[in-house]
Amino acid sequence: MKLKLTLALLLAATSTSALADRLDDIKKAGVLRVAAFDSNPPFGFLDAQSRQISGLDVDVARHIAGKIGVKLELVPTNPANRIPLLVSGKADLIAANFTVTPDRAKQVDFSLPYFASGQQFISRKGTLATPAQLAGLRVGADKGTTQEITLREKYPATKVVSYDDTPLAFAALRNGNVTAITQDGSKLAALLANAPDKDKYEIAPFTLTREFQAIGLPKGEARLVKVVNEVLLGLEKNGEAKKIYDHWFGPGTKAPLPRDFRIGDKA
Amino acid sequence: MTPPAWLGYGWLEPHFIGWMLQGAALTAWLALLVCMLATLLGVLLAAGHEQRWRSVRLAVRTLLSLHRNTPLMVQLLLWYFGVAGLLPEAAMLWLNAPHEVTLAGWTLAWPSFEFVAALVALSLYSAAFVAEEIRAGIRSVALGQRAAALALGMTPRQVFLHIVLPQALRVVRRPLLGQYLGVIKNTSLTMAIGVAELSYSSRQVESETLLTFQAFAVATLLYLLLVLGAQLAGGRVRPTLGEGR
Repeated sequence: MKLKLTLALLLAATSTSALADRLDDIKKAGVLRVAAFDSNPPFGFLDAQSRQISGLDVDVARHIAGKIGVKLELVPTNPANRIPLLVSGKADLIAANFTVTPDRAKQVDFSLPYFASGQQFISRKGTLATPAQLAGLRVGADKGTTQEITLREKYPATKVVSYDDTPLAFAALRNGNVTAITQDGSKLAALLANAPDKDKYEIAPFTLTREFQAIGLPKGEARLVKVVNEVLLGLEKNGEAKKIYDHWFGPGTKAPLPRDFRIGDKA
Repeated sequence: MTPPAWLGYGWLEPHFIGWMLQGAALTAWLALLVCMLATLLGVLLAAGHEQRWRSVRLAVRTLLSLHRNTPLMVQLLLWYFGVAGLLPEAAMLWLNAPHEVTLAGWTLAWPSFEFVAALVALSLYSAAFVAEEIRAGIRSVALGQRAAALALGMTPRQVFLHIVLPQALRVVRRPLLGQYLGVIKNTSLTMAIGVAELSYSSRQVESETLLTFQAFAVATLLYLLLVLGAQLAGGRVRPTLGEGR
């Protein structure tokens, strides 16, 4: 009898926790835990001076936490750990340059996109102006990326040379082994910002694909998604979104990249 | 016929098989060139090490030690990304531009720079090991043999060619063959510097089709064929004195 009662209590306890809403949990805990990159400037990186994780994603996350009325706690992550952190409940949100894909949508929910990017190219100044010029060129890409595949499928006349990561591909470009390298536009801007000889290179003025970055949320938390979307739309309306963007990508920054996407645009 | 579920969905498409075969051909060609260069260099290095002059010995020792005691992967990166970056810009761009080389009536395509870097790094690395093995073989011939041959009135050159070398070759034949098979496997590391050999093509097939098992299984099979083929060919080469019993 006693055992049955315990079991019933246990069952009741588990079922209530399953019904609990993540937004209520966050408010009760007083902390919003956000998985952010710690080595992917300018989205999320360890700031040398403040020794805090900062960046564009972090600024957006700070506004979300502020709107909910709780403290922000950043969970450092990398591309491979983002989804596991969220699914296992160690983080409430992902704000880590998180690209919207149908595969990921099976495991997590997405907010409205707050950043868009696409496949772009770095080449020596004046060598690459239109996609048609890609034919016959040797172009460096990162192994196993969508950029590598897109290039090979849509531009069969281009010779794709794959490297382990973008800095190595850039080294090959600087050595003249390839004529251009391809990656996500924002990543290229950040890479070029730190190059000692950046004056010799430029980001070619065209984009091959369009990708959208959004906040990743746990599956089935409709109220949390609603709050996050409201915050994002609010940021665009009061001009804060543009301010955040210009702080990291504006004309005066190390990695200028024109803003061609607004929160709420059709994704 | 549909393949069993554990093989994944679909089998390799024809053009992916084409990539893999191209990769295998490049692997074989690279390995062949490296084996030839490494043997030539290895013999020279071994001979240099047996010299009387101390400075030559020291130089050879340093070179061998540098290549035997550092990872091949790092050497590849050093040659391709490092040394290439030290060259003057005009030289770099010329090396990387496509040329045609006419040699005794044959028109050859200029090899890509990653191929040259792979060839240099792999050859030097393998040559260091080949040199040590040849040295071991030469050292294994008892000193009494040389003394006896000299006493019979042979010149030092004759002693080396007719007494020492045949016996040394018999000793080093098997380890040397192992070294050559190692070269074939080591070419897979050149994927890091963008040489489109067999590992590279399997990686490409994997990333485009997500047929993980199939891509790497086919690569394994092709490597096995290459190595077994080389082993068979190597087994047929017998130095003059024949197999030791």
